[in-house]
Amino acid sequence: MKMNSLQRAWRSVIRKPIKSILLLLVMITICLFLLCGMACRNANVQTQDTTRQAIGAGLRLDANEKNRSKRLTECSEKIGAGQEGSYGGVHQKKLETAYGTQWMVWCDNSFDSLQISDIEKLADVPGISDYNISTCITAVNPVGFDRIEDPDMDQTNDMGGVVLIGNRKMELDSNVLSGNVTLKDGRMVTEKDQDVCVISEQLADQDHLAVGDKIGFNDYHDPEHSQVQEATIIGIYQTQQPMSPLMAGDTFRSENIIFTDLRFPEKAEGSENDPCYEHAYFQVGDVDNYDAVKAAVSAVDIDWERYDLIDRNGNMSTMSSNFNDLEKISTLLILITFAAGFIMLFLIFVFWTKNRNYEIGILLSLGYKKQNVLGQLFAEAFITALLAFAISFTLAPAASGAAADYLVSAQAEQAELEKNINADNVAYSTVQSEQTVVGVDVDITKEMFLICGAGMVILTAVSIGTAGIGILKKNPKDILSELV
Amino acid sequence: MILEAKNVSYFYKSQKDKLILKNVNYGFEPGKMYALLGPSGSGKTTLLSLLAGLDTPTKGEILYDGKLITARDLTEHRKHHISLVFQSYNLIDYLTVVENVKLGGKKEPEPILDKMGISQEFWKRNVLQLSGGQQQRVAIARALASDANVLLADEPTGNLDEATAWDVIDLLKRIAHEEGKCVIVVTHSKELADSVDVAIRMDQLGK
Repeated sequence: MKMNSLQRAWRSVIRKPIKSILLLLVMITICLFLLCGMACRNANVQTQDTTRQAIGAGLRLDANEKNRSKRLTECSEKIGAGQEGSYGGVHQKKLETAYGTQWMVWCDNSFDSLQISDIEKLADVPGISDYNISTCITAVNPVGFDRIEDPDMDQTNDMGGVVLIGNRKMELDSNVLSGNVTLKDGRMVTEKDQDVCVISEQLADQDHLAVGDKIGFNDYHDPEHSQVQEATIIGIYQTQQPMSPLMAGDTFRSENIIFTDLRFPEKAEGSENDPCYEHAYFQVGDVDNYDAVKAAVSAVDIDWERYDLIDRNGNMSTMSSNFNDLEKISTLLILITFAAGFIMLFLIFVFWTKNRNYEIGILLSLGYKKQNVLGQLFAEAFITALLAFAISFTLAPAASGAAADYLVSAQAEQAELEKNINADNVAYSTVQSEQTVVGVDVDITKEMFLICGAGMVILTAVSIGTAGIGILKKNPKDILSELV
Repeated sequence: MILEAKNVSYFYKSQKDKLILKNVNYGFEPGKMYALLGPSGSGKTTLLSLLAGLDTPTKGEILYDGKLITARDLTEHRKHHISLVFQSYNLIDYLTVVENVKLGGKKEPEPILDKMGISQEFWKRNVLQLSGGQQQRVAIARALASDANVLLADEPTGNLDEATAWDVIDLLKRIAHEEGKCVIVVTHSKELADSVDVAIRMDQLGK
């Protein structure tokens, strides 16, 4: 017969709308701040993981530019001043022109290429879990398919080709590691492949090419007479952002970049057995052991003057520290929300209990126990919290979207700042992908809802419990003296 | 005796020299209406609080049906033995008439409201929409719903006009006489005191 605390609480919530709406708004704000904080924190953690995986921890071996000039001078001296000839991959030739005698000096791949024996020595170092070799960007003539061209561009000075990048293991190519290049169809090149390629989705669409089709290439210097080399398409890739071109012209545009197996570019340009390896990438198996592995690699007996050993986790530390800061801010936001939420709710409930002394007195005079009266206040708060929680669910995706935008813009800004001072960009003569985060996953997960829900329950219980101590401490006479 | 004060003395803890009640001895019987009469500060409201179990006497004891009310939880005494009616009605403003009566507890509210002369059209209205007299009737209905044997009323007619006040007094008398309850009313009014079964002057109670 008697009305229980839940029945009274429900009626109080419904029939005292201003009081309920005030509490509801405060609770929605707290819920959203909590969810937003958790979404940001989660996004930071996820982005750090993605970044770590994308950039990976590894060492890249590039040719040292200074040493190249030095070797070039030495080779020219060996050939002799004013002499025609070749030495160490450097060629010197005299040309008689209308303007007089001209000297042409050029290098073949054997001069520029990283030495495969050195690469293999480094790959054997304990702690190196895998490695990749990437060839120089090799311009070739497309046979039997059309490249992508800008119709508004003057093609007079363009060689009319496409470019090939050979990889021992394409999944370790810098464009793939950065996350910019992903597969749309088929698979990537592995070390066992021969005469295979992975083309861009734009090229595939334009020429109606699919996985399994064969396309040909030959030397663009002599497209009519040079031998055509065929490669089977094993994959079609897509990019998040166009790969930065090495040189101007449609030959080097992102869509015309074709990834092949390691030895195919030299065959296609007609210089078989004269490969040009531009980068080697050594993946460190245990990221935490990075420094020790780097020291071991540096200790390998090769001609280090010829090479640069570049950290491939430089960006990661910068980006990680950037995201670590955001993670700290997010954690702080959650803690501040909890603290501020507690204070706000506590004050509201203190105000409630003070304001409802009259009602509490009536109930006590009717023989209701203090716990029962306090239970009604708890029930009212939890009904409102439940409603606030449901509304926050609806608003949470918008809040998480805003959080995502903030994170991406913050990271992009930081990456831009680092772009010019990062050692990783030294001698990056191949197509360089952007290493900015273009999107982060800030979905509100079930776990977040559960944590937020539990947090709200605890927050409400603690604040109303603290505020309600006044009721439990008070003698009924103290409250009822105002009534009797 | 349904309710009895035995050697009850009371002074406020903060003002030990100010004695409010001294050696009060009185027994209240069922089926009678009593009036506690006296000027302000005479201790009539304090005595009502002690009888209601809202406070405990400094000395002496309160017995209900021959047993100490402190033998059990005072909340139990308030819940089962007594019911209170206040001068300012003390209804809960977000509940309807029926819901307020339901707070009383044990009895169905509708027959009681009927008996109190609150017609059905008001039952589902908010209590604030009723007149003062109607609100006091609802408060009395709530007190009756608890089915307690003792009804304690503190200045129940203080906020009512004369005609309505006498209606309420008649109602309380009927409750005492027809339902066999012990009704104790605190009042300043000599006329009201003269109309009840037993009028008790506070100065005769041992202060």
